[in-house]
Amino acid sequence: MTQAPAFETDFWKDANLRKVWDEIVPGEPRKTLPYKLTLEAIQLYCRSVGEDHPLYFDEAYARKTPYGGLIAPPSIHILLMFACTPTDDWMRTPGTINAGQSWSYNKPARPGDTITLQARALDKFIKRERLFVVHDNVFFNQHGDVICSGRGQTIRPA
Amino acid sequence: MSTSFENLSVGDTINGPKFDVSRESIRLFCDGSLDYNPLHLDDDYMKNSFGKTNFGGIIMHGMNNFGLITRMLTDWAYPAGAIQRRLETRWLKPVKPGDTIQPLGVVKSKQSTQKSRWVLIDVLVRNQKGEHVAAGEAMVEFPVSGSIAA
Repeated sequence: MTQAPAFETDFWKDANLRKVWDEIVPGEPRKTLPYKLTLEAIQLYCRSVGEDHPLYFDEAYARKTPYGGLIAPPSIHILLMFACTPTDDWMRTPGTINAGQSWSYNKPARPGDTITLQARALDKFIKRERLFVVHDNVFFNQHGDVICSGRGQTIRPA
Repeated sequence: MSTSFENLSVGDTINGPKFDVSRESIRLFCDGSLDYNPLHLDDDYMKNSFGKTNFGGIIMHGMNNFGLITRMLTDWAYPAGAIQRRLETRWLKPVKPGDTIQPLGVVKSKQSTQKSRWVLIDVLVRNQKGEHVAAGEAMVEFPVSGSIAA
């Protein structure tokens, strides 16, 4: 099993507590939560995109590679973004539309890592009547190493 | 042919995996990503319009494209001892249940820096009609020593 049972999957819950576009302050840190990344969560994510590389599944194989053990795929930040934020975070607002992302990768996340996130809106603007927010996110492991950093844009529900 | 920085040429292509999109695949991505936005779950909700857009039903997560592009790049890079260092994407069209999507990479340029070597790759995801649903650019590092700073 994954940590999903503790995760609130009803994104309407706490919807009234989330900031709307008007209230989002660029530069202000978002509340985040440390998250223990399990092998089960990594492998469930992998299955959802058809990832089957032995670096994610075969400990004996992974130990013999330069990585020295199992790792998560770089795109694991897709999961970490929701795992490291509370239910009142505005990324969960129903109708939030992802308009593009760019990510840089430093060290791989590994099963058993405790992941932390530093996140904020960096900018917001209106374009063709649509309400955009630019987000800035950095994930760290328990050693303080940067795992990856990324910038994204979402269109906020009007 | 095994991939190496030396034998790569501009225009070389990387073929990614075909991926069949279904209600089940979208639901599994919800569980894998913890992204339970009703855009991906709730047909009634999707009867609404979003600004000027009406999707007419649930849509695949844009980040599912991102995950699929990553899978293509890492499956290509790992055997060469190379490392995916960057991926930038934007979504061009919604993807829906019943679609089949496939990422593609094209080597755009190679560059050596003071301490390493880099390959820039244009990436694209197409659906079964040949329409482009996502596009972007990736950067893969080919370390000089062949050793990975993992």
